[in-house]
Amino acid sequence: MTVKTHKTKPPRKRRGGFGSKQEQRFAYLMLLPALALVLIFRVIPLIWGFFLSLTNVDTLGNGDWVGFANYARAANDPTFQDSLINTVILLATLPIWVMLPMLLAILIHQGVPGGKFYRAVYFFPAVLSSVIIGAIFSVVLRYDGSLNNMLGAVGIDAIDWLGSSSNALGSLIAVQLWSTFGMGVLIFMSGLATVPDDIIEAARIDGAGFWQRLFLVIVPSLRPIIEFVAVVTTIGVLTSMFGLIYVLTGGGPGTSTTLPEFLIWLEQGKLNRPGYAAAISMILFVMMGGIAWMQVRIMSRNTNL
Amino acid sequence: MKTKPFLLAATAIGLVGAAAQAQELTVWDWKSGDPVTADYYDSAKAAFEAANPGATVKFVVQPHDQYYTLLGTALSSGKGPDVILLHGGAQAQTRADALLPLTAMADGFSGAEGFTANGEVIALPLTIQGFAVYYNRALYEAAGLDPNKAPSNFAELSTACEAIAAKGEVPCFALGNSQGFGGEFFISQIATSTFDDADYTAWAAGELAWTDPKVRAIADQWAAAAEAGWFYEGANSIAKFMDEYEMFMRGDAAHTVGLLSDVAHWKQFEEFHGEGGVGVFAYPNSDAELARLPFAGGIGWAASNQSAHPELALSLVEILADAERQAIFAVDTGALPANLAVDTSGLSSPALAEALALMAAAPGGMPHSILAPSVLEEWKRQSQLLLNGETDVDAAIEAMEVARNAN
Repeated sequence: MTVKTHKTKPPRKRRGGFGSKQEQRFAYLMLLPALALVLIFRVIPLIWGFFLSLTNVDTLGNGDWVGFANYARAANDPTFQDSLINTVILLATLPIWVMLPMLLAILIHQGVPGGKFYRAVYFFPAVLSSVIIGAIFSVVLRYDGSLNNMLGAVGIDAIDWLGSSSNALGSLIAVQLWSTFGMGVLIFMSGLATVPDDIIEAARIDGAGFWQRLFLVIVPSLRPIIEFVAVVTTIGVLTSMFGLIYVLTGGGPGTSTTLPEFLIWLEQGKLNRPGYAAAISMILFVMMGGIAWMQVRIMSRNTNL
Repeated sequence: MKTKPFLLAATAIGLVGAAAQAQELTVWDWKSGDPVTADYYDSAKAAFEAANPGATVKFVVQPHDQYYTLLGTALSSGKGPDVILLHGGAQAQTRADALLPLTAMADGFSGAEGFTANGEVIALPLTIQGFAVYYNRALYEAAGLDPNKAPSNFAELSTACEAIAAKGEVPCFALGNSQGFGGEFFISQIATSTFDDADYTAWAAGELAWTDPKVRAIADQWAAAAEAGWFYEGANSIAKFMDEYEMFMRGDAAHTVGLLSDVAHWKQFEEFHGEGGVGVFAYPNSDAELARLPFAGGIGWAASNQSAHPELALSLVEILADAERQAIFAVDTGALPANLAVDTSGLSSPALAEALALMAAAPGGMPHSILAPSVLEEWKRQSQLLLNGETDVDAAIEAMEVARNAN
């Protein structure tokens, strides 16, 4: 018995088709500008920053190779240690940063009266620069500011919102939260649009109340969005609070509002120690790299949901 | 064939253009954007361009709060300006390696020691800078004090503050310390009355410990004044520039520690309280009999050694700091000129007369300006904590020693 075999022809290569060397070259050519930008503005400065962190050069370029002395210095620097503690406190408030916009987005999605108005109002601070927000809140929160005047009018003693170590970081976090939560609301609203209405309706018909629908149907459906907002918010608060700190507290009182990014500016811009600033930058980069790695893992896991 | 003459002409124009561009000096400062200083800069530009035909000068105003960050970046890249305005003390001295020596041009200037590094004068002072305590005579009178008798020692200042506190309307001192400037000024207010030449040398070298009684007095007297309620409550959330001074100008505090510099507080305060409405004295140290007035070279002009035209840069510095230009600057801004050849009779006012008399009778230095920047930064932090009562003097001194030894 002979078996007829069909000699299959290899697929004819289309002229300029996907995978041809010519097309690959073209693809690389198209990628080149983006790769060059990443290389020039990200990779090379990163490598340069690492080597800078191994020196004690000043801003005039005078200095010597000191190895890992700047990293040892950071390990023993009380100001840097305080900035890390402040970072941990900041990260501990993460549930608020996630839960508040989520709850507001759910309320708007559930059709509270004036929902569209609130959506616009919540988002408005996100278009303001941190310096402008800082200037506004320095008038509101200073000891003789409008908030204390308002409290005084109802018989409550003035509170030193920005000038006391026990209040300053909390005030700063509250202002940053106010200025950024609108973006979280928008992200959650996009996520809510993907929750099928028929599931919510089915739960309602089955007798689930508002809170049961919220915690047993809506929140589990939003899990990928919650994780995404958590990671993006974490990166945001660690790298974008400089303007607020600069305008509102200058890192004080003491070191109570000093975060690593502010300390980097202080060491480079005011204390003329770019090598040490570069070492702190590298440590912050490693911290951020760890969070970015978490983000990639979360995102890739959620692609299967 | 017609292209050849065209190319030659273009090349010639290019060369001429390049030569013209090469003759342009760039000056960095934070003053030339102020309309009050326009006549000073116009006069300097005209004099320089008349003295150096073909050369031009471009003044580039930079934001004051970012000035040294921007300057450091420019100098490290070798693209710094030709002529630079600098503050005296550590800000000028730490950049000495980037500046041309000006010792041969420095005769006849007051405050040049604040612009001296490694035995060379590195900038010509434009103004003198000092700190004086300004007081509101009307509030003194309201508190039952003699408005024409300024406190001359610590006991008299204590009496004045007690009387003002008893009146209960305003704090004794307006204070803004949100960026630590109140604490920074206090270093010079206290130490200037007790430091001798050896102390200044050791202090500048970082060899004078904060445990030394003369230095510890800074923290002791700061904490004591805070505990006694002399300062405005909530000072750590108030900016010294300008909230503290606005508070004093509104009459919401009896005293403020203000400047005698390119910022002429005597002039500003008299505009609000009237001529004669403001008195001046030197802050007394409780450990010293004589209260000295801290002052030194305020701001000054330096020439960069990165300049492609060092001779022109030196010529411009000389013109910017000469007596004719400084007289214009002094009259227009109220600043005290550093050039001794300037006639200051046009600056007469009761408050200024008191300040000038103190400068002559009890001159002191400016210890804060020669302190290492990282140690100064730590003192700003500690001053905030002391003000809040969140640390004590012993802990603050310990933190200062850690900062001094780490520097």
